[in-house]
Amino acid sequence: MTRIPAKKNKPTASSLYKFSKYKKTLVLLTMAAPTAIWLLLLRYLPMGGIVLAFKDYKINPRNPSFISNLLNSEWMGLNNFKFLFMTDDAKIMFRNTLAYNIVFIILGIIIPVAFAIMLNEITKKFVAKAYQTLMFFPYFLSWVVVSYFLNAFIDGQYGMITAMQQAAGGTAVNWYYEPGPWPYIIVFANLWKNVGYTTMLYLSAITGIDSTQYEAASIDGATKWQQIWYVTIPNLRTMICILFIMNVGKIFNADFGLFYSVPMNSGALYPVTQVIDTYVYRALKVTGDISMSAAAGLLQNVLGFICILTANTIVKKIDSDSGMF
Amino acid sequence: MTGKKKNLRLNTVSRGTEAVIYIVLGLFALCCIIPFIFVIIISFSSEESIRQIGYSFVPMEWSTEAFRYAFQRLPQIWRSYFNSLFITVVGTIVSTLMCALYSYVLYRPDFKFRRFFNFFSFFTMIFGGGLVPTYIVCKQVLGLNENYAALIVPLLVNPFNIIIMRTFFQSSVPLELIEAATIDGSGEYSTLFRVVAPIAKPGVATIALLNALVFWNDWYLSLLYIQRNKILQPLQALLMELQNNVEYLNRMAGQMGAAAIQEASKLPSQSLRMVLVVLIVVPIACAYPFFQRYIVAGLSVGSVKG
Amino acid sequence: MKKLLSLVLAMLMVLSLAACGGGNNDAPANNDTPAKTDTPANTDAPANTDTPSDTPAASDLDPVTLSIWLHGSTVTPEASAKVMESVNAYLKDKINVTLEPIWGTWADFDTATVTALAGGDDVDIYFTCNWSANEYNKYARDGYWVKLDDLLPTYGADLLTTIPDGIWECAKTNGYDGMGVYAVPALKDTATQNCWDLNGTLLAELGYDVDAVVESASLNPDFYYSDEFEEMLQKAKDAKGGDFYPLVGEPVLFERIATGTSIVTGDLNGAPVFSYYYDLEHPAKDIGSKLVCKYATPEFKKFAERTYYLSQKGFISPQTQNVDTANAYMEACRKSASYLFCTQSYAFGCELDYARDRGIDVRMIPTDAPYMDATSGQGAMMAISATSKNPERALMFLNLLNTDPELMTLLNYGTEGYTYNKNSDGTITFVDEVRTTYSPWRNGMGNIRILPATSDEGADYWDRFSAYYDQAEALPYGSFIVDVSGLSNEATALANVYGQYGFQLMAGATNPETVLPEFLSKLEEAGMQKMLDTANEQLAAYIAG
Repeated sequence: MTRIPAKKNKPTASSLYKFSKYKKTLVLLTMAAPTAIWLLLLRYLPMGGIVLAFKDYKINPRNPSFISNLLNSEWMGLNNFKFLFMTDDAKIMFRNTLAYNIVFIILGIIIPVAFAIMLNEITKKFVAKAYQTLMFFPYFLSWVVVSYFLNAFIDGQYGMITAMQQAAGGTAVNWYYEPGPWPYIIVFANLWKNVGYTTMLYLSAITGIDSTQYEAASIDGATKWQQIWYVTIPNLRTMICILFIMNVGKIFNADFGLFYSVPMNSGALYPVTQVIDTYVYRALKVTGDISMSAAAGLLQNVLGFICILTANTIVKKIDSDSGMF
Repeated sequence: MTGKKKNLRLNTVSRGTEAVIYIVLGLFALCCIIPFIFVIIISFSSEESIRQIGYSFVPMEWSTEAFRYAFQRLPQIWRSYFNSLFITVVGTIVSTLMCALYSYVLYRPDFKFRRFFNFFSFFTMIFGGGLVPTYIVCKQVLGLNENYAALIVPLLVNPFNIIIMRTFFQSSVPLELIEAATIDGSGEYSTLFRVVAPIAKPGVATIALLNALVFWNDWYLSLLYIQRNKILQPLQALLMELQNNVEYLNRMAGQMGAAAIQEASKLPSQSLRMVLVVLIVVPIACAYPFFQRYIVAGLSVGSVKG
Repeated sequence: MKKLLSLVLAMLMVLSLAACGGGNNDAPANNDTPAKTDTPANTDAPANTDTPSDTPAASDLDPVTLSIWLHGSTVTPEASAKVMESVNAYLKDKINVTLEPIWGTWADFDTATVTALAGGDDVDIYFTCNWSANEYNKYARDGYWVKLDDLLPTYGADLLTTIPDGIWECAKTNGYDGMGVYAVPALKDTATQNCWDLNGTLLAELGYDVDAVVESASLNPDFYYSDEFEEMLQKAKDAKGGDFYPLVGEPVLFERIATGTSIVTGDLNGAPVFSYYYDLEHPAKDIGSKLVCKYATPEFKKFAERTYYLSQKGFISPQTQNVDTANAYMEACRKSASYLFCTQSYAFGCELDYARDRGIDVRMIPTDAPYMDATSGQGAMMAISATSKNPERALMFLNLLNTDPELMTLLNYGTEGYTYNKNSDGTITFVDEVRTTYSPWRNGMGNIRILPATSDEGADYWDRFSAYYDQAEALPYGSFIVDVSGLSNEATALANVYGQYGFQLMAGATNPETVLPEFLSKLEEAGMQKMLDTANEQLAAYIAG
């Protein structure tokens, strides 16, 4: 496949690189420039707003511009963070957020990798294509629509499962008041929605694997299973590690719609559906305080950042090529 | 490909295993498509049926009323379609290009500032200034206000995609190729577009698809930046506006009193909301195979099989 | 190095924003010196006339563009352009203003507006009220609105005479610049009355004398707890089958109707924790009430037990007990007349509309006399943003809007011959297909009593409307507003506790015997007592002075 055979003649290459070193750096900088400028303007510039988390934001009516408001607002120290730890609910929401995310991360690696390999093994390509297209569909539907769909099954009045229970002579339960099954529902819903997406990433990575590796393996007499184990999976390693690290960075953030819309905001389910994001949303609806929401966001980010650095270090220890930076 | 027909059994899993794969993936695929079929059924259910038996796979009565209503009552649907399409096409091209350029630079081990730019993008994945400061920068500093740019520019870069793209480059493009191209006297840009890009096609197509989805599905930018010039509203914004109206009035019903009840009776029917979901999903679902060509077509190239 | 980098960037942001905010520095947005003579509007407007809006001095005024953010509107861009042509032609002659409306929906009320406010957008006038995240009292406190007291005599003289003093009193709040009016209240449905909405047709079918039931149930606080009530529900259920749920409504309203409490202005948004009991027949009568924790009263316990009992009997649908479906389900039941009793917060004349829509005999059973409180003035308001460069002109516009029937009709109903036609008796009839493309939220616009009546409403509609609302008595605590902004940590915790327990108890979904004590102890833990003490201190201070 490769047009040009590998060239291992280092001195030649490096001297050639040196020849146009400055020009090359300059050209590569122009490639990075559009995105770098975008990041500077739309991500780094607003970061000054992080101080909001330590302020009690109020308008300065004498000069109502954001900066003047910010300067005019009182310092709050860490007071804006307090509301997250006010009651025992804090324990529940931190526990739920972490527990669900850990499950999502583990299953979110195993299942998509398995699916991607399986799709790759399907000999009828149109079937593989069809499956892959269908698996992507949940990604198009918003959580609100998913909640309608789920409701059609478990609604206490119209739901199909309720109807079946009644037909069988049992009493219908109101599912939105039974916390028991919800951890499973939530894990399944999350996988259902995201597996197609992640599978596609892995599938594209498999597609990018140099076919000569398979050829070599099959000439050596490796079975398909051995090829998967010794060629495909090692080649997916980098992608797995990168996605793992990135997900670890979001371990304190929850998918709001999944925990809010899908259980239809039912209070009786809080013990199993209350996560940091829903708690903050419900809390800040009554105060409308942008400083407190900035504080909550900052806390999640800082914790995520610590996790991501840790994960990156661990991954690099195991496999030095797969780190993120 | 070489080696066709030969080693056929060796290079595929056994028939039994393949059957299991068909069933497992098939069941999951079914799970994935049923809700969408369900949405289509609701969009064709009569309002009376929904009132009587709720959402159901077998409505009491079929009706195209909601579709007719949607096109009659919402003349902006067509314009919104155009807006969505325009934003998606322009946004996807620009953002994919920017992403490819930036991640290519990160992939080049010989780039002097590689580590800096890597961290520069990664850091923004974790930390952000929050909604209000970003809003102020966009609106007051960059002038992203009541124009198409406001619907495109804020979504152009996604650090996640940069890292994915970089990973694609790392795993599929051998460095030697670039060295060779440089020796051949190829400029950096032409190396990227003529040599690297064709090899990284599955990766580029994947990123393009992800970007296209983001632009097609976005409604929040429209909510923030399009107030006076609603002609620019994309389709998704139209749907979310209806949905959020419903959600808001539900939430406020206890407090708004009489006003909420009068307002709630003006709300669009449930089937109309599903009609909008259908109208949004169908075009992007149709565009999907276009991207998939590059993603799955690569399969037969990547592995050796008939 | 990275630290340094982000520091530099933060500085960059500060600088650039300061630069762009700099343009605002000299804007006359301040209100501490309202009689300043350097604002163009002030020098040009003839200061000797007390009704500047009526003086033909429009050409002397500098032309300004005012933007106004409204909510709950269904207005297409074309229809807006068409109507605005007439509106702006009219406004140019009157006050030399070009109006730029932002037709907000409900969807952006809690989101986009809030961001725009915090971000200091150049919007002159915002719709605001006391029942949402875009909260009049909170934003007045935080300095977002211009205090109007000093501007009103000069630029809003007609407003002062048109809107009754009682309503102005309700609009007062303790804002950034002290106690005063920070927004112009709308003269709309200015009283609250809770009702049972009774399906008279169904009740008659069940063999009851509808008039007698209405008569005996009116203003009867025990009706909800009576055997007669249960019997009616049971008969309806028996007659209509197992899938029929005769008791329909919004659970939060169930509670207010069945226990006779008012909405306390300033209570937590979307998570009510305060109750105030009043005399149902004579709301103005002082019965020595204080603010209490809504859920800790014997009345609430009795209500929750009763509702749970009725729910166990199969009278309340599971859909009503789901916070996300309750409202939509109620709407569906009302439209198809599949209910016996439903909650209703009364709006004048609504029973006639409902009867026509649903094709049944709709009866309203009042559970209290109409009363006034802060909501009477704060239900819908127009506030002038602190970022407005022309607060005087904005007030002149609001003055004209609320006193000039022609302008109010134009903005609210559109242009004659396009969205509506006039009838010989002075009423109007809408051109339905056009009206659907131009329907702002009528009550949100301001003084709707100067609008022409529609042919459906009848020529004397607004007289009857005013007569009904003007008879309302003010609650003993008048236009009291709780301010718990100093207890935001407690508020956030209480909101989550309410979310977990409050709704399900009011909907009768769970047994109060087990859930209520748990709820109360969680409320205590979240700081309910502190909240209550603060609120009652404020109430005592309010009543004292």
